[in-house]
Amino acid sequence: MRGFLLNRLSQSLVLLLIVSVIGFVVLNLIPGGPLAQFGLDPSMTQDDLDRLKEQLGLNRPLWMQYLDWAWRLVQGDWGHSFRDGAPVLDVIGRHIFATLLLMGSSTIIAIAVGTWIGIRGATHRYSVFDYLGTVGAMVALSIPTFWFGLIGIYVFSLQLGWLPAGNMYTIGDGSALNYMHHLILPSIVLALVHVAIWSRYMRSATLDVISQEFVKTARAKGLSERRILMKHVVGNALLPMITLAGVQLPSVLTGALVTETVFTWPGMGRLFLDSLGYSDYPVVMGLLMFSAILVILGNLIADIAVAVIDPRIRLS
Amino acid sequence: MTKDFTTGSTYSRRDALRLMAAGGVACFAAPNLFGKPASAQNLPTTPTGRVVVGLSQEPTVFNPLMAHTEVDDALHFSVFDALFRMDPKGVLQPNLAAEVPTQKNGGISQDGLQWRVRLRDDVRWHDGEPFTAEDVKFTLELITNPKFRAWRTAGHSLVRDITVVSPTEITWRMEEAFAPYLSFLAETFIVPKHILEKEADPNAAAFSQAPVGTGAFKWAQRIAGDHIELVANADYFGEGPYVERLVLKYIPDMTVLYTQFVSGDIDLVDQAYITADHYQEASKLSGRVVTLEPGASVESIYLNLEKPQFKDPAVRQALYAAIDRKTIIDAIYYGIHKPTETFMPQNSYYYNPDLPAQEYSIDKARQILDEAGWVPGPDGIRAKDGVRLSFSNATTAGNNLREQVQQFLQQSFAEIGVEMTISNLPGAVMWGDFWLKSQFDSAISGVTNVIAADPDVTNRLHTSAIVAKGGKGSNTGQYSNPEVDALLEKGARTFDPEARRAIYLRVQEIVRQDLPFLPLFAYTNVFGRKEGLEGFESNANTRVASWHAAGWHWKS
Amino acid sequence: MTAIAANSNLDRWWNSRTARRFMSHHLALLGMVMIALLTLACVLGPYLLPYDSLYIDLRARFAPPLTGSHYLGTDPLGRDVAARLFMAGRISLLVGFSAMLLSTLIGTLVGVIAGYRGGWLGMALMRTVDGFLSFPSIFLVLALAAALKPSPIMITVVIAVSSWMEVARIVEAEVRSLREREFVQAGRMLGLSGTHIMFREILPNAIGPIIVAATLTVARAILMEAYISFLGYGIQPPLPSWGNMLNGAQQYLGTAPWLAIIPGAAITIAVTSFNFIGDGLRDAFDVRGD
Repeated sequence: MRGFLLNRLSQSLVLLLIVSVIGFVVLNLIPGGPLAQFGLDPSMTQDDLDRLKEQLGLNRPLWMQYLDWAWRLVQGDWGHSFRDGAPVLDVIGRHIFATLLLMGSSTIIAIAVGTWIGIRGATHRYSVFDYLGTVGAMVALSIPTFWFGLIGIYVFSLQLGWLPAGNMYTIGDGSALNYMHHLILPSIVLALVHVAIWSRYMRSATLDVISQEFVKTARAKGLSERRILMKHVVGNALLPMITLAGVQLPSVLTGALVTETVFTWPGMGRLFLDSLGYSDYPVVMGLLMFSAILVILGNLIADIAVAVIDPRIRLS
Repeated sequence: MTKDFTTGSTYSRRDALRLMAAGGVACFAAPNLFGKPASAQNLPTTPTGRVVVGLSQEPTVFNPLMAHTEVDDALHFSVFDALFRMDPKGVLQPNLAAEVPTQKNGGISQDGLQWRVRLRDDVRWHDGEPFTAEDVKFTLELITNPKFRAWRTAGHSLVRDITVVSPTEITWRMEEAFAPYLSFLAETFIVPKHILEKEADPNAAAFSQAPVGTGAFKWAQRIAGDHIELVANADYFGEGPYVERLVLKYIPDMTVLYTQFVSGDIDLVDQAYITADHYQEASKLSGRVVTLEPGASVESIYLNLEKPQFKDPAVRQALYAAIDRKTIIDAIYYGIHKPTETFMPQNSYYYNPDLPAQEYSIDKARQILDEAGWVPGPDGIRAKDGVRLSFSNATTAGNNLREQVQQFLQQSFAEIGVEMTISNLPGAVMWGDFWLKSQFDSAISGVTNVIAADPDVTNRLHTSAIVAKGGKGSNTGQYSNPEVDALLEKGARTFDPEARRAIYLRVQEIVRQDLPFLPLFAYTNVFGRKEGLEGFESNANTRVASWHAAGWHWKS
Repeated sequence: MTAIAANSNLDRWWNSRTARRFMSHHLALLGMVMIALLTLACVLGPYLLPYDSLYIDLRARFAPPLTGSHYLGTDPLGRDVAARLFMAGRISLLVGFSAMLLSTLIGTLVGVIAGYRGGWLGMALMRTVDGFLSFPSIFLVLALAAALKPSPIMITVVIAVSSWMEVARIVEAEVRSLREREFVQAGRMLGLSGTHIMFREILPNAIGPIIVAATLTVARAILMEAYISFLGYGIQPPLPSWGNMLNGAQQYLGTAPWLAIIPGAAITIAVTSFNFIGDGLRDAFDVRGD
């Protein structure tokens, strides 16, 4: 176990190095840069811009900027935002709650609904429900998330007026109910794709288990369908699903970014877009590294969890 | 012939005199700095209520001296004070200063080099420390500190020998006479010496995350990516504040911003205001006051005059004649903007209303090009001496209305045998070197040319401001005219408003003739606020609607 | 080169179980028909409509669907939405296809080399794949799109660069398992070159999973283009794409909802169809997927 962990950790570090190099190169390919925001300011002279460039350390060769950044990162210093001068980790920390709230609630919806559709589809194989579920999942996978969000806003906010068109809460009303009211539409929109993935997965996993001998035995013993399902099917199918949850993390993050832009949600996705717009390199790099760490950790935890729950799986 | 375009220019000789005398007289009007609100008798005795201001960008720079953009002003104007403030009429009013120094009252020497500013003695920082001339000195020195990531240093870099005469008096010497500096000081907020002098690195000071000022509102808290909350400063030396809480709410999408204004979540729409297409609908809302306020920006097509296509004045004239400005303004911008012939804001004292008006005529445009020898080639695109009349046009990608204008112009120009391609870039790319170092063919942009209402446009139109040719400024169209250069140099040294006016009227005349850029319209902003929010006044001489939140109050 | 090499094998497959299974997959067939119709409409449509997709008529702006001969209404510049939808379809489908081809090419090359050569090079290549997979693709795509001058070709490249990893993984795994098989060993004995073995012997046997992944990549590429263009970083006006038709649609959601509904529906139909086809192919090739 220890060797496995060490091996995986060292691999993860190499991954992070690669991610940081890719990110840094791509980011610095962008012409313009952080001073473009002053391009239209009538009072900033070229002297001012040159001075700021030097103060921000942007006139150094690229490799030097990278090494400087990487060396600081290794020491735990993620740098400071070009925009508000705050430490990058603080900046990310201020936005993480909103994203986690959105991701959390949509994951709960996705798992609950997806599991239900998947198991029901598998146990009622070839029924109308199963068929609709399968086709529906395919369609759901194909709908552009941002467009689904727009349609949701059009129907539920503009036409029916039931749900707010954006924001996390109303100013001056920080009650849980108010948060939930604002959470409904974006989390459903974000959940859509994942309901589809979960239900497809759950369906095939359930089918696998149902066909196995011990379930047949259990059925022969006269156990009720429901108990068999709960005990064996769900228990067994849940294992690979933990892995899936880890693997899904990047796509949930991507989805969150898209959803946040449509619903003006104050999370990391919007922070990323804003920071990209201002070429706030330290924050963009911070977010890239942060999400990469999250994804790698997600995979790692999924692997470990599976290994711990099911010792049959060989750790390699 | 220019009758249509003279609205907004109602300055008379009396105003000019007022401008000159303003500083000297206005100190008697203090503490009611900006004139009494209409309903002065209904003002609440203690600050009450809350105002939520909606902004489409997020204020993030809280140290007002650091490099920032206009949206940050929304906070700076409420938390901090400057020596002076520019009022809606373009007249300087004392703020932390007891009077505005002029050559008449002796605050500025006749040669414009010696400055003396008297300060108020009743101002305290939010933490209770008294404000003194030391703070002013510290502020001016911090700006030119090479380690500090300061905003503009123009003007400030000319200041020498700052001397604190007494806690309420400060003097300095200017390296050369620079009239716009007075206006620059209206956008130079004073920061507390006693807090910042202890910081080793002024860029990363805690102050930048929780600023302390002298203004009408104190910093309360910030929910990053969402809003900033300010509370009333009960000990404010000036007028107000009358509301207890001021919330600056960030809503990145203009449509959502508007929706929240309709639903009542937002009390007042600031930067970038209500979009043109929502104006009609907004003006019919009950319980909302929606007004059209002239802005300071002018939307123009900037031509890179070093490109062979644009060197011939005939081409510029023909292009200008081919623009159907009326249709663009009426259809795409719902008629809210005003046509203009100059870079100067129309409500400015220095605005020239007598410039020849553009006439839209495709025939005339064709005729101009025919006469200048631009002949259509086999592909229908005109050419002369091997130069094809084909160019690209760029602006910020994702700016919908502007993209519509581009596509409309593309069709208009095609009619006169000119090919315009569109290649838009993300903002962070567009306004970087591509714009500043004149790498574009042509660009559409809304630009504010004046700084805090000062008419000096050296930075935009002087030959020495062409970065692509080693200059320092933002003359990105590479316009160069010796007569304009001489006039601008003279204008920057002249303190007398009337004398300056003559100079800048002439500059506008020459520029209209040369057409280095093609003006499309002067911006009108659609302001919206809740009914019952009183004491609000718009001010085109500042960059935000919340320039004077101290005077706001709810109708009781 | 992969297509030519695979020719004989393709024939073999096509006459086999695989083809039969695919043909019996109703949804996949439906997908094929829909894509065929959509392509036909985008190719022929613009010639049948009375309006040019670029013709601006400000007097006719914001006409709702079924106004006169504007069957799908007009946009904020009075251009015919139907005409734009078809022209946009050409761009979007072309970008989707080209991005798929490019990313499959990159992915296959990387996969084959990594899988066949293995060792240090294979390790480095596969860690790069992992690296690319470790950040949400949208981060990469947006950063890249902001870096490059937006044009259909650039967008295609950007999408391809962010979506080749899956193919690379699939191919690498296939190749790694195939390289020890008898026919490859035999080839080696005969003294065939590494390149020959990689592309002539091994690759054709991995063609099934590649085709499945490629089909799904078209679907993803269309979605990706839509999103980049929606944010304004993608295809630039006046050239229409389904994505940039949606750019600005949010602004007019209240007054002109068709501007948002119509292009979005087109995207959904196209992407659903490709996903159906991919699903059918997966069943047909008997590829185990998630």
